[in-house]
Amino acid sequence: MANGEVCMKIIIDLKLCEGNERCVNAAPEVFELRDDEKSHLLVERPPERLRAKISLAARVCPRQAISIIED
Amino acid sequence: METQTASTQIAREPEFSLDTIDIISPDHYQKNGYPHAEWAYLRKHRPLFYVDRPRVDPFWAITKAADLKEISCQPRLWLNGPRLAVFMLDEGETGLPPEASPLKHLLNMDPPQHGEYRSILSQYFTPRSIRALEPEIANITAKLLDDLMDREQCDFVTEISSKIPVAVIAEMLGVPRPDWPKLFRWTNEIIGGGDPEFQSGKDSMETFAQARMEVFQYFTDLVEQRRKHPTSDVTSIIANAQVDGAPIPALELLSYLLVLVVAGNETTRNATSGGLLALLEHPEQFRRLKSDPTLIKSAVEEIVRWTSPVIQFARTAASDTILRGQKIRAGESVCLFYPSASRDEDVFEQPFKFDIGRNPNPHLSFGIGEHFCLGSNLARLELAVIFRELAKRLDYAELAGPVERLRSSFVGGIKHMQIRYKLKPAG
Repeated sequence: MANGEVCMKIIIDLKLCEGNERCVNAAPEVFELRDDEKSHLLVERPPERLRAKISLAARVCPRQAISIIED
Repeated sequence: METQTASTQIAREPEFSLDTIDIISPDHYQKNGYPHAEWAYLRKHRPLFYVDRPRVDPFWAITKAADLKEISCQPRLWLNGPRLAVFMLDEGETGLPPEASPLKHLLNMDPPQHGEYRSILSQYFTPRSIRALEPEIANITAKLLDDLMDREQCDFVTEISSKIPVAVIAEMLGVPRPDWPKLFRWTNEIIGGGDPEFQSGKDSMETFAQARMEVFQYFTDLVEQRRKHPTSDVTSIIANAQVDGAPIPALELLSYLLVLVVAGNETTRNATSGGLLALLEHPEQFRRLKSDPTLIKSAVEEIVRWTSPVIQFARTAASDTILRGQKIRAGESVCLFYPSASRDEDVFEQPFKFDIGRNPNPHLSFGIGEHFCLGSNLARLELAVIFRELAKRLDYAELAGPVERLRSSFVGGIKHMQIRYKLKPAG
Protein backbone atom coordinates (compact mmCIF):
# COMPACT_ATOMS: atom_id res chain seq x y z
CA MET A 1 0.00 0.00 0.00
CA ALA A 2 1.10 3.52 -0.69
CA ASN A 3 2.62 5.18 2.38
CA GLY A 4 2.35 1.82 4.11
CA GLU A 5 -1.36 2.34 4.74
CA VAL A 6 -3.56 -0.59 5.53
CA CYS A 7 -7.03 -0.30 4.14
CA MET A 8 -9.90 -1.05 6.43
CA LYS A 9 -13.50 -1.21 5.48
CA ILE A 10 -16.32 -0.74 7.95
CA ILE A 11 -19.64 -2.55 7.75
CA ILE A 12 -22.68 -1.85 9.90
CA ASP A 13 -25.29 -4.58 10.03
CA LEU A 14 -28.45 -2.47 9.89
CA LYS A 15 -30.58 -5.44 10.87
CA LEU A 16 -28.76 -5.50 14.20
CA CYS A 17 -28.22 -1.77 14.73
CA GLU A 18 -30.76 -0.17 17.07
CA GLY A 19 -29.30 3.30 17.30
CA ASN A 20 -27.75 3.02 20.74
CA GLU A 21 -25.25 5.71 19.70
CA ARG A 22 -22.23 4.11 21.35
CA CYS A 23 -20.31 4.15 18.06
CA VAL A 24 -21.19 7.80 17.47
CA ASN A 25 -19.76 8.64 20.88
CA ALA A 26 -16.65 6.54 20.30
CA ALA A 27 -15.87 7.70 16.74
CA PRO A 28 -17.97 10.70 15.66
CA GLU A 29 -15.72 11.12 12.61
CA VAL A 30 -16.98 7.82 11.21
CA PHE A 31 -20.50 7.14 12.51
CA GLU A 32 -23.62 9.25 12.60
CA LEU A 33 -27.18 8.58 13.64
CA ARG A 34 -29.71 9.38 10.94
CA ASP A 35 -33.47 9.82 10.93
CA ASP A 36 -34.09 6.08 10.70
CA GLU A 37 -32.55 5.88 14.21
CA LYS A 38 -29.71 3.77 12.89
CA SER A 39 -26.01 4.37 12.65
CA HIS A 40 -24.58 5.21 9.23
CA LEU A 41 -21.04 5.61 7.93
CA LEU A 42 -19.73 9.03 7.12
CA VAL A 43 -16.83 7.32 5.42
CA GLU A 44 -16.66 3.71 4.35
CA ARG A 45 -12.87 3.45 4.29
CA PRO A 46 -11.68 5.65 7.10
CA PRO A 47 -8.03 6.63 7.54
CA GLU A 48 -5.73 4.48 9.60
CA ARG A 49 -5.33 7.11 12.31
CA LEU A 50 -8.93 6.47 13.36
CA ARG A 51 -8.39 2.76 13.89
CA ALA A 52 -8.31 2.87 17.68
CA LYS A 53 -11.55 4.81 17.86
CA ILE A 54 -13.26 2.52 15.36
CA SER A 55 -12.12 -0.61 17.19
CA LEU A 56 -13.54 0.88 20.36
CA ALA A 57 -16.83 1.59 18.56
CA ALA A 58 -17.04 -2.02 17.38
CA ARG A 59 -16.19 -3.31 20.82
CA VAL A 60 -18.73 -1.22 22.73
CA CYS A 61 -21.61 -1.75 20.29
CA PRO A 62 -24.21 -3.48 22.45
CA ARG A 63 -25.65 -5.32 19.47
CA GLN A 64 -22.21 -6.14 18.01
CA ALA A 65 -23.37 -4.75 14.67
CA ILE A 66 -20.06 -3.29 13.47
CA SER A 67 -17.37 -5.24 11.67
CA ILE A 68 -13.99 -4.12 10.48
CA ILE A 69 -12.72 -5.83 7.35
CA GLU A 70 -9.10 -5.59 6.22
CA ASP A 71 -8.48 -5.58 2.52
CA MET B 1 -13.01 -2.99 63.88
CA GLU B 2 -15.26 -2.69 60.84
CA THR B 3 -12.31 -1.89 58.60
CA GLN B 4 -10.31 -4.79 59.95
CA THR B 5 -13.06 -7.27 59.17
CA ALA B 6 -13.50 -5.89 55.67
CA SER B 7 -9.81 -6.05 54.83
CA THR B 8 -9.42 -9.57 56.23
CA GLN B 9 -12.29 -10.66 54.06
CA ILE B 10 -10.59 -9.35 50.93
CA ALA B 11 -7.16 -10.68 51.87
CA ARG B 12 -8.41 -14.15 52.65
CA GLU B 13 -9.63 -15.98 49.61
CA PRO B 14 -12.45 -18.27 50.67
CA GLU B 15 -12.11 -21.91 49.78
CA PHE B 16 -15.07 -23.74 48.35
CA SER B 17 -15.69 -27.33 47.52
CA LEU B 18 -16.97 -27.80 43.99
CA ASP B 19 -19.33 -30.44 45.34
CA THR B 20 -21.18 -28.04 47.60
CA ILE B 21 -20.57 -24.57 46.17
CA ASP B 22 -23.99 -22.89 45.83
CA ILE B 23 -24.69 -20.37 43.08
CA ILE B 24 -28.26 -21.30 42.23
CA SER B 25 -30.50 -21.94 45.23
CA PRO B 26 -32.94 -19.07 45.85
CA ASP B 27 -32.47 -19.47 49.61
CA HIS B 28 -28.79 -18.64 49.25
CA TYR B 29 -29.62 -15.38 47.45
CA GLN B 30 -32.23 -14.43 50.02
CA LYS B 31 -29.90 -15.05 52.97
CA ASN B 32 -26.59 -13.82 51.63
CA GLY B 33 -27.22 -11.70 48.56
CA TYR B 34 -25.14 -12.40 45.46
CA PRO B 35 -22.55 -15.18 45.79
CA HIS B 36 -19.66 -12.97 44.66
CA ALA B 37 -17.02 -14.95 46.56
CA GLU B 38 -18.27 -18.15 44.94
CA TRP B 39 -18.27 -16.60 41.46
CA ALA B 40 -14.77 -15.21 41.97
CA TYR B 41 -13.63 -18.68 43.00
CA LEU B 42 -15.20 -20.23 39.89
CA ARG B 43 -13.76 -17.55 37.57
CA LYS B 44 -10.33 -18.43 38.89
CA HIS B 45 -10.55 -22.19 39.30
CA ARG B 46 -13.43 -23.49 37.19
CA PRO B 47 -14.65 -20.96 34.61
CA LEU B 48 -16.74 -23.64 32.93
CA PHE B 49 -18.43 -25.48 35.77
CA TYR B 50 -20.92 -28.30 35.38
CA VAL B 51 -23.69 -28.18 37.98
CA ASP B 52 -25.75 -31.32 38.54
CA ARG B 53 -27.82 -31.05 41.71
CA PRO B 54 -31.21 -32.19 42.96
CA ARG B 55 -34.29 -30.21 41.87
CA VAL B 56 -32.54 -28.41 39.01
CA ASP B 57 -31.79 -29.53 35.46
CA PRO B 58 -28.03 -29.74 34.94
CA PHE B 59 -26.25 -26.74 33.42
CA TRP B 60 -22.80 -25.34 32.74
CA ALA B 61 -22.15 -22.21 34.81
CA ILE B 62 -20.52 -19.38 32.84
CA THR B 63 -18.79 -16.81 35.02
CA LYS B 64 -16.19 -15.15 32.73
CA ALA B 65 -17.00 -12.04 30.69
CA ALA B 66 -15.27 -13.33 27.54
CA ASP B 67 -17.31 -16.55 27.54
CA LEU B 68 -20.57 -14.75 28.22
CA LYS B 69 -19.82 -12.44 25.31
CA GLU B 70 -18.84 -15.24 22.94
CA ILE B 71 -22.03 -17.19 23.69
CA SER B 72 -24.32 -14.15 23.50
CA CYS B 73 -22.96 -13.16 20.11
CA GLN B 74 -23.75 -16.53 18.47
CA PRO B 75 -27.55 -16.60 18.78
CA ARG B 76 -27.96 -19.33 16.18
CA LEU B 77 -25.69 -21.71 18.02
CA TRP B 78 -26.75 -20.74 21.54
CA LEU B 79 -30.54 -20.65 21.71
CA ASN B 80 -32.74 -18.77 24.18
CA GLY B 81 -35.52 -21.28 23.70
CA PRO B 82 -36.42 -23.70 25.18
CA ARG B 83 -34.65 -22.91 28.46
CA LEU B 84 -35.05 -19.27 29.45
CA ALA B 85 -33.10 -19.37 32.68
CA VAL B 86 -32.15 -21.85 35.36
CA PHE B 87 -34.83 -22.36 37.99
CA MET B 88 -34.68 -24.66 40.96
CA LEU B 89 -37.83 -26.39 42.15
CA ASP B 90 -38.75 -26.05 45.81
CA GLU B 91 -38.73 -29.06 48.10
CA GLY B 92 -41.83 -31.10 47.28
CA GLU B 93 -42.66 -28.96 44.24
CA THR B 94 -43.47 -30.92 41.13
CA GLY B 95 -44.24 -30.16 37.53
CA LEU B 96 -42.55 -28.02 34.98
CA PRO B 97 -40.76 -24.87 36.11
CA PRO B 98 -41.67 -21.54 34.44
CA GLU B 99 -38.61 -21.85 32.18
CA ALA B 100 -40.45 -24.55 30.25
CA SER B 101 -43.37 -22.29 29.30
CA PRO B 102 -44.46 -22.89 25.70
CA LEU B 103 -45.40 -19.21 25.31
CA LYS B 104 -43.03 -17.39 23.00
CA HIS B 105 -41.84 -13.88 23.76
CA LEU B 106 -38.77 -11.69 23.24
CA LEU B 107 -36.76 -13.43 25.93
CA ASN B 108 -37.14 -16.98 24.63
CA MET B 109 -37.37 -16.36 20.88
CA ASP B 110 -34.46 -17.00 18.54
CA PRO B 111 -33.42 -15.65 15.15
CA PRO B 112 -34.95 -14.95 12.75
CA GLN B 113 -38.27 -14.65 14.66
CA HIS B 114 -36.71 -12.69 17.52
CA GLY B 115 -35.52 -9.93 15.21
CA GLU B 116 -38.96 -9.64 13.62
CA TYR B 117 -40.64 -9.13 16.97
CA ARG B 118 -37.96 -6.98 18.50
CA SER B 119 -37.86 -4.57 15.58
CA ILE B 120 -41.53 -3.68 16.17
CA LEU B 121 -40.44 -1.73 19.23
CA SER B 122 -36.73 -1.06 18.94
CA GLN B 123 -37.17 2.41 17.44
CA TYR B 124 -39.15 3.44 20.53
CA PHE B 125 -36.25 2.58 22.82
CA THR B 126 -33.38 4.45 21.17
CA PRO B 127 -31.65 7.17 23.22
CA ARG B 128 -33.40 9.83 21.16
CA SER B 129 -36.92 8.42 21.66
CA ILE B 130 -36.30 7.80 25.33
CA ARG B 131 -34.96 11.31 25.96
CA ALA B 132 -38.46 12.63 25.28
CA LEU B 133 -39.60 10.89 28.48
CA GLU B 134 -37.21 12.78 30.73
CA PRO B 135 -39.63 15.53 31.86
CA GLU B 136 -42.24 12.92 32.76
CA ILE B 137 -39.74 10.80 34.70
CA ALA B 138 -38.46 13.91 36.49
CA ASN B 139 -42.06 14.85 37.43
CA ILE B 140 -42.86 11.40 38.78
CA THR B 141 -39.63 11.36 40.80
CA ALA B 142 -40.05 14.88 42.17
CA LYS B 143 -43.61 14.21 43.25
CA LEU B 144 -42.65 11.03 45.08
CA LEU B 145 -39.87 12.80 46.92
CA ASP B 146 -42.10 15.79 47.73
CA ASP B 147 -44.62 13.44 49.34
CA LEU B 148 -41.91 12.01 51.58
CA MET B 149 -40.44 15.34 52.68
CA ASP B 150 -42.16 15.73 56.02
CA ARG B 151 -41.22 12.22 57.14
CA GLU B 152 -37.96 10.91 58.51
CA GLN B 153 -38.18 7.23 57.73
CA CYS B 154 -39.49 5.15 54.84
CA ASP B 155 -39.16 1.83 53.10
CA PHE B 156 -37.07 2.97 50.15
CA VAL B 157 -38.14 -0.02 48.03
CA THR B 158 -41.91 0.07 48.38
CA GLU B 159 -42.17 3.86 48.58
CA ILE B 160 -39.59 5.06 46.05
CA SER B 161 -37.59 2.63 43.94
CA SER B 162 -40.50 0.40 42.95
CA LYS B 163 -42.87 3.28 42.26
CA ILE B 164 -40.88 5.03 39.55
CA PRO B 165 -40.32 2.23 37.02
CA VAL B 166 -43.90 0.97 37.33
CA ALA B 167 -45.19 4.48 36.65
CA VAL B 168 -42.90 4.92 33.65
CA ILE B 169 -43.71 1.58 32.01
CA ALA B 170 -47.42 2.02 32.74
CA GLU B 171 -47.28 5.42 31.09
CA MET B 172 -45.50 3.96 28.04
CA LEU B 173 -48.02 1.14 27.77
CA GLY B 174 -50.95 3.50 28.15
CA VAL B 175 -52.25 1.85 31.34
CA PRO B 176 -54.54 4.30 33.16
CA ARG B 177 -53.31 5.53 36.54
CA PRO B 178 -55.94 3.76 38.72
CA ASP B 179 -54.65 0.42 37.39
CA TRP B 180 -51.00 1.01 38.30
CA PRO B 181 -51.23 -0.75 41.71
CA LYS B 182 -52.52 -3.89 39.97
CA LEU B 183 -49.58 -3.81 37.59
CA PHE B 184 -47.28 -3.49 40.57
CA ARG B 185 -48.80 -6.53 42.31
CA TRP B 186 -48.62 -8.69 39.18
CA THR B 187 -44.98 -7.97 38.56
CA ASN B 188 -44.19 -8.77 42.21
CA GLU B 189 -45.98 -12.08 41.92
CA ILE B 190 -44.39 -13.03 38.63
CA ILE B 191 -40.81 -12.33 39.64
CA GLY B 192 -41.20 -12.84 43.37
CA GLY B 193 -43.54 -15.83 43.24
CA GLY B 194 -40.77 -17.94 44.75
CA ASP B 195 -40.77 -15.73 47.83
CA PRO B 196 -43.44 -16.52 50.44
CA GLU B 197 -44.17 -12.79 50.88
CA PHE B 198 -45.52 -12.53 47.33
CA GLN B 199 -47.20 -15.90 47.03
CA SER B 200 -50.92 -15.78 46.47
CA GLY B 201 -51.18 -19.37 45.22
CA LYS B 202 -50.04 -22.52 46.98
CA ASP B 203 -46.54 -22.28 45.54
CA SER B 204 -44.42 -20.22 43.17
CA MET B 205 -45.75 -21.82 40.01
CA GLU B 206 -49.38 -21.38 40.95
CA THR B 207 -48.73 -17.76 41.92
CA PHE B 208 -46.93 -17.19 38.64
CA ALA B 209 -49.71 -18.81 36.60
CA GLN B 210 -52.45 -16.82 38.33
CA ALA B 211 -50.67 -13.52 37.96
CA ARG B 212 -49.95 -14.24 34.32
CA MET B 213 -53.61 -15.00 33.68
CA GLU B 214 -54.66 -11.72 35.27
CA VAL B 215 -52.15 -9.78 33.17
CA PHE B 216 -53.42 -11.54 30.04
CA GLN B 217 -57.04 -10.75 30.85
CA TYR B 218 -56.24 -7.14 31.56
CA PHE B 219 -54.30 -6.59 28.36
CA THR B 220 -56.78 -8.50 26.21
CA ASP B 221 -59.21 -5.67 26.91
CA LEU B 222 -56.64 -2.93 26.41
CA VAL B 223 -55.48 -4.47 23.11
CA GLU B 224 -59.05 -4.62 21.88
CA GLN B 225 -59.54 -0.93 22.68
CA ARG B 226 -56.33 -0.01 20.90
CA ARG B 227 -57.29 -1.97 17.81
CA LYS B 228 -60.54 -0.04 17.61
CA HIS B 229 -58.95 3.29 18.43
CA PRO B 230 -55.19 3.27 17.83
CA THR B 231 -53.06 5.62 19.93
CA SER B 232 -49.33 6.29 20.09
CA ASP B 233 -48.65 4.15 23.17
CA VAL B 234 -46.65 0.91 23.10
CA THR B 235 -49.71 -1.31 23.61
CA SER B 236 -51.26 0.23 20.53
CA ILE B 237 -48.10 -0.21 18.47
CA ILE B 238 -47.86 -3.91 19.31
CA ALA B 239 -51.61 -4.45 18.98
CA ASN B 240 -51.57 -3.03 15.47
CA ALA B 241 -48.21 -4.43 14.33
CA GLN B 242 -47.85 -7.02 11.60
CA VAL B 243 -45.43 -9.92 11.46
CA ASP B 244 -45.21 -11.75 8.14
CA GLY B 245 -48.22 -9.85 6.90
CA ALA B 246 -50.55 -10.77 9.76
CA PRO B 247 -51.30 -9.36 13.22
CA ILE B 248 -49.37 -10.95 16.09
CA PRO B 249 -51.19 -14.07 17.40
CA ALA B 250 -53.06 -13.40 20.66
CA LEU B 251 -50.89 -15.37 23.07
CA GLU B 252 -47.65 -14.03 21.64
CA LEU B 253 -48.98 -10.52 21.78
CA LEU B 254 -49.96 -10.87 25.44
CA SER B 255 -46.63 -12.50 26.29
CA TYR B 256 -44.83 -9.61 24.60
CA LEU B 257 -46.67 -7.13 26.81
CA LEU B 258 -46.12 -9.25 29.90
CA VAL B 259 -42.37 -9.28 29.33
CA LEU B 260 -42.35 -5.49 28.97
CA VAL B 261 -44.27 -5.07 32.22
CA VAL B 262 -41.98 -7.36 34.17
CA ALA B 263 -38.69 -6.38 32.56
CA GLY B 264 -39.49 -2.69 32.81
CA ASN B 265 -40.16 -2.94 36.51
CA GLU B 266 -38.04 -5.34 38.43
CA THR B 267 -34.67 -4.51 37.00
CA THR B 268 -34.70 -0.74 37.38
CA ARG B 269 -36.31 -1.06 40.80
CA ASN B 270 -33.47 -3.23 41.98
CA ALA B 271 -30.75 -1.12 40.41
CA THR B 272 -32.27 1.85 42.26
CA SER B 273 -32.47 0.11 45.64
CA GLY B 274 -29.07 -1.52 45.21
CA GLY B 275 -27.61 1.76 43.95
CA LEU B 276 -28.68 3.68 47.02
CA LEU B 277 -27.43 0.86 49.23
CA ALA B 278 -24.03 1.04 47.50
CA LEU B 279 -23.91 4.82 47.98
CA LEU B 280 -24.78 4.46 51.68
CA GLU B 281 -22.09 1.81 52.08
CA HIS B 282 -19.59 4.05 50.25
CA PRO B 283 -20.40 7.52 51.65
CA GLU B 284 -17.30 9.04 50.05
CA GLN B 285 -18.75 8.12 46.63
CA PHE B 286 -22.09 9.70 47.54
CA ARG B 287 -20.27 12.90 48.59
CA ARG B 288 -18.37 12.83 45.32
CA LEU B 289 -21.61 12.65 43.30
CA LYS B 290 -23.20 15.44 45.35
CA SER B 291 -20.26 17.74 44.76
CA ASP B 292 -19.86 16.90 41.05
CA PRO B 293 -23.18 16.30 39.27
CA THR B 294 -21.35 15.74 35.95
CA LEU B 295 -20.44 12.30 37.31
CA ILE B 296 -24.04 11.12 36.98
CA LYS B 297 -23.47 9.25 33.70
CA SER B 298 -20.55 7.22 34.93
CA ALA B 299 -22.25 6.79 38.31
CA VAL B 300 -25.24 5.18 36.60
CA GLU B 301 -22.97 2.78 34.68
CA GLU B 302 -21.20 1.85 37.89
CA ILE B 303 -24.50 1.30 39.69
CA VAL B 304 -25.65 -1.00 36.88
CA ARG B 305 -22.33 -2.87 36.95
CA TRP B 306 -22.36 -3.12 40.74
CA THR B 307 -26.00 -4.18 41.20
CA SER B 308 -26.44 -6.17 37.96
CA PRO B 309 -30.10 -6.92 38.73
CA VAL B 310 -30.53 -9.77 36.25
CA ILE B 311 -28.67 -12.69 37.78
CA GLN B 312 -28.81 -15.15 34.90
CA PHE B 313 -30.30 -16.30 31.64
CA ALA B 314 -29.66 -19.67 30.01
CA ARG B 315 -28.73 -20.70 26.47
CA THR B 316 -29.08 -24.14 24.94
CA ALA B 317 -26.59 -25.49 22.40
CA ALA B 318 -28.25 -26.08 19.01
CA SER B 319 -25.46 -28.43 17.98
CA ASP B 320 -22.35 -30.02 19.46
CA THR B 321 -19.73 -27.39 20.09
CA ILE B 322 -16.51 -26.65 21.94
CA LEU B 323 -16.21 -24.07 24.68
CA ARG B 324 -12.89 -23.48 26.48
CA GLY B 325 -11.73 -26.78 25.02
CA GLN B 326 -14.65 -28.60 26.57
CA LYS B 327 -17.16 -30.43 24.39
CA ILE B 328 -20.73 -29.27 24.95
CA ARG B 329 -23.40 -31.49 23.39
CA ALA B 330 -26.46 -30.31 21.51
CA GLY B 331 -29.30 -29.84 23.99
CA GLU B 332 -27.04 -29.08 26.95
CA SER B 333 -27.44 -25.65 28.46
CA VAL B 334 -25.21 -22.93 29.84
CA CYS B 335 -26.17 -20.41 32.48
CA LEU B 336 -24.81 -16.89 31.97
CA PHE B 337 -24.12 -15.16 35.29
CA TYR B 338 -24.15 -11.44 34.45
CA PRO B 339 -23.09 -10.06 37.86
CA SER B 340 -20.04 -12.32 37.72
CA ALA B 341 -19.03 -11.14 34.23
CA SER B 342 -19.37 -7.55 35.40
CA ARG B 343 -16.76 -8.18 38.10
CA ASP B 344 -14.34 -10.17 35.99
CA GLU B 345 -10.74 -9.47 37.05
CA ASP B 346 -9.60 -9.83 33.43
CA VAL B 347 -11.79 -6.91 32.38
CA PHE B 348 -11.96 -4.54 35.33
CA GLU B 349 -9.27 -3.00 37.43
CA GLN B 350 -10.24 -3.50 41.05
CA PRO B 351 -13.61 -5.04 40.20
CA PHE B 352 -14.70 -5.01 43.85
CA LYS B 353 -14.20 -1.27 44.18
CA PHE B 354 -17.37 0.80 43.81
CA ASP B 355 -16.13 3.80 41.83
CA ILE B 356 -18.71 6.18 40.37
CA GLY B 357 -16.08 7.67 38.05
CA ARG B 358 -15.05 4.33 36.56
CA ASN B 359 -14.00 4.71 32.93
CA PRO B 360 -14.02 2.64 30.81
CA ASN B 361 -16.78 0.51 32.23
CA PRO B 362 -17.58 -2.27 29.74
CA HIS B 363 -19.92 -4.12 32.09
CA LEU B 364 -22.21 -6.84 30.75
CA SER B 365 -25.13 -6.22 33.08
CA PHE B 366 -27.41 -5.38 30.12
CA GLY B 367 -26.12 -8.39 28.20
CA ILE B 368 -24.72 -8.06 24.68
CA GLY B 369 -25.63 -9.02 21.12
CA GLU B 370 -28.97 -10.33 19.85
CA HIS B 371 -30.76 -10.08 23.21
CA PHE B 372 -29.04 -6.96 24.55
CA CYS B 373 -31.51 -5.30 26.96
CA LEU B 374 -34.09 -3.52 24.81
CA GLY B 375 -34.85 -1.12 27.66
CA SER B 376 -31.26 -0.17 28.53
CA ASN B 377 -31.65 3.45 27.43
CA LEU B 378 -34.84 3.78 29.44
CA ALA B 379 -33.19 2.21 32.49
CA ARG B 380 -30.19 4.53 32.16
CA LEU B 381 -32.41 7.59 31.93
CA GLU B 382 -34.58 6.56 34.90
CA LEU B 383 -31.51 5.89 37.02
CA ALA B 384 -29.88 9.16 35.96
CA VAL B 385 -32.97 11.15 36.94
CA ILE B 386 -33.47 9.31 40.23
CA PHE B 387 -29.86 9.58 41.40
CA ARG B 388 -29.52 13.15 40.18
CA GLU B 389 -32.53 14.07 42.34
CA LEU B 390 -31.37 11.99 45.31
CA ALA B 391 -27.92 13.57 45.15
CA LYS B 392 -29.50 17.03 45.12
CA ARG B 393 -32.17 16.50 47.74
CA LEU B 394 -31.05 13.76 50.09
CA ASP B 395 -29.29 15.72 52.82
CA TYR B 396 -28.73 12.71 54.90
CA ALA B 397 -29.66 9.03 54.80
CA GLU B 398 -28.79 5.86 56.66
CA LEU B 399 -30.13 2.32 56.90
CA ALA B 400 -32.76 1.99 59.60
CA GLY B 401 -32.88 -1.78 59.65
CA PRO B 402 -31.59 -4.87 57.90
CA VAL B 403 -31.93 -5.12 54.11
CA GLU B 404 -34.48 -7.80 53.19
CA ARG B 405 -33.70 -9.64 49.99
CA LEU B 406 -35.95 -11.46 47.55
CA ARG B 407 -35.89 -15.22 47.46
CA SER B 408 -34.87 -15.54 43.81
CA SER B 409 -31.86 -16.65 41.82
CA PHE B 410 -33.17 -15.00 38.65
CA VAL B 411 -33.56 -11.33 39.53
CA GLY B 412 -31.59 -9.95 42.44
CA GLY B 413 -34.13 -8.13 44.49
CA ILE B 414 -34.29 -6.06 47.60
CA LYS B 415 -37.80 -6.35 49.03
CA HIS B 416 -37.50 -3.89 51.87
CA MET B 417 -34.93 -1.32 52.89
CA GLN B 418 -35.87 1.02 55.72
CA ILE B 419 -33.95 4.28 55.68
CA ARG B 420 -33.83 7.27 58.03
CA TYR B 421 -33.38 10.41 56.00
CA LYS B 422 -33.73 14.13 55.61
CA LEU B 423 -34.98 15.45 52.27
CA LYS B 424 -34.59 19.00 51.00
CA PRO B 425 -37.24 20.71 48.90
CA ALA B 426 -36.66 20.75 45.15
CA GLY B 427 -34.91 23.63 43.42
